[in-house]
Amino acid sequence: MSSSGWLSRFARRNLAGPEIDARRAGLGILVIFLAPALLVYAGFTLYPVVRTFYNAFHTIKPHGVVEFVGFSNFTALLLTDPVFWKAVANTAMFTIVATIVDVVGGLLLALCLFARAPLAPLLRVVWFTPVLMSYVVVGIIWVWIYDYDWGLANAVLRWVGLGAFEQSWLGHPSTALWSVLVAHEWKWLGFNMIVFLAALHALPSEVLGAAELDNCGWFAKLVYIIAPMLRTTIVNLLVLSFIGKMMVFDLIWVMTGGGPLWSTETVSTYVYKRAFEWNTFDLGYPSAIAVLWFIIILAFIAIMTRLLRQRDRLEF
Amino acid sequence: MMAPMQLGFARVRRLPLVLFVILYTVVTGGPLLWVATMSLRTTAEIFKDPYGLPSPAHWEKFADAWTKSNYGTYFWNSTIVVVIAVVLVTAIGAMAAHCLARYSFRGNRLVRFLILTGLVLPPQLVILALFQILLDINLYNTLAGLILVYVATHIAMTVYILEGFFAQIPQDLFDAARMDGYSDFEIFWRVTMPIGAPAIFTTVTLNFIVLWNEFLFAVVLLTDDDKRTLPLGLMHFTGSHQLDVGMAATGLMIAMLPIIAIYAFFSETMIKGMTAGAVR
Repeated sequence: MSSSGWLSRFARRNLAGPEIDARRAGLGILVIFLAPALLVYAGFTLYPVVRTFYNAFHTIKPHGVVEFVGFSNFTALLLTDPVFWKAVANTAMFTIVATIVDVVGGLLLALCLFARAPLAPLLRVVWFTPVLMSYVVVGIIWVWIYDYDWGLANAVLRWVGLGAFEQSWLGHPSTALWSVLVAHEWKWLGFNMIVFLAALHALPSEVLGAAELDNCGWFAKLVYIIAPMLRTTIVNLLVLSFIGKMMVFDLIWVMTGGGPLWSTETVSTYVYKRAFEWNTFDLGYPSAIAVLWFIIILAFIAIMTRLLRQRDRLEF
Repeated sequence: MMAPMQLGFARVRRLPLVLFVILYTVVTGGPLLWVATMSLRTTAEIFKDPYGLPSPAHWEKFADAWTKSNYGTYFWNSTIVVVIAVVLVTAIGAMAAHCLARYSFRGNRLVRFLILTGLVLPPQLVILALFQILLDINLYNTLAGLILVYVATHIAMTVYILEGFFAQIPQDLFDAARMDGYSDFEIFWRVTMPIGAPAIFTTVTLNFIVLWNEFLFAVVLLTDDDKRTLPLGLMHFTGSHQLDVGMAATGLMIAMLPIIAIYAFFSETMIKGMTAGAVR
């Protein structure tokens, strides 16, 4: 009796199997593994998010002065804040153009290397270098490049005989945003290039070979064969670029500080200024901007992924 | 020219391609080389001829930048903050990723969801509140506070990459380890960590570069000059010595050199690390 009990217990344990056993862990073990990450993350990421949402509905002055104001931060910024709308317009321009340049430019660079440009493996490494540089480094370098007197941009223009076009690139409201955008693309194109290159090498070579046999020109091949096959990568990079550009701060801060005349003010630089530079001494209002902008970004990501995915379904 | 057929680009004319490739290489590499030459020249020499070669090369400028212009302090601050933050985020990120990938328990998906929401949270959404929180707990304007913030804001990406990799390790290995009597922690340390080493290397590279270059959190959370990290120090120096371009260029090189040196030896790892979140 007792032996069969022992036997059945042994059998049951074996039947339950080591598989389930290895996938199980006591609460203590789980806590040891998860608690450090969860505690730090909860305290310094999740709680700040909650607190920002709370801030957005309050006026937060120094020395712990907190006053509930309902939606008035939001109504004020939507209805009576021209700087906010200027920042939104700039950020929108920057985001749309830079996202398109990122994806199109990255794809073209990747195709150059994919088409067996000489020294392609080396160039791949060289072209990626700016991605590793900080925005501060990139920003300072480009401030020098745009320098009116001794900068590279004007020097090159003079050298090729276009001296008439030389100007103070960052000093003029009509060129400042686009000049920053060029610097931004200089830093990021290599990133998109690498991602596209990886995707290109994963394409089935038979399809490209078949197109070759059908006398398909390279442009037709790009538009009708390669681009559709890269759809997932393109969508991913569009979303990724979009998020990055909507948050653009560092490069603008280093190169222009939002000037001249608000011409490069973006939502992020405006948040920073309202919080730490303007003597309004209120963290509630900039928090409201951050919250509103976050919701807008999420909405756009949802729309983008849905639109691009739906077309997928229609086509195939 | 006979480009291999399966590449499908035989019809691209070679000459424009080669010209474009050369042009783009000059555009990417040129500015960096320009800064490198300027870092070895005095400001007077630079203003006389901005594009001259560094002859004689003023190597002593690096010593001056290090001691007189405070770049030594900035460099060590950056090193301390980045090394500690990367070690911490890797350790606790790997533990959490291992736990999520290996154990089935109630709340697994909730914990995973909570951590991965961190991937879409913009820094602007947390930065103002972090400023308040660090003030509350007396960690504002301290390197320790900045390290905590760096760890917290980079857990999401670390767990995302590591969990994806750990989950692909065959369960049989863990069953075998359990049969051999390994404890839970031994399984983590002696099975997951060695096998997951490539993924860990990837996250270490990614976090190292991103944190070495980080600016927004640092500029909000640090104020003292002797606590500044390199990006802040560079920004401060060029702001307050606008005309001393030569010394600023030396500072830029001090900030870039560690990255470039590592890149020269581990370019593939770094490329893989930087794009790990985008390449699926």
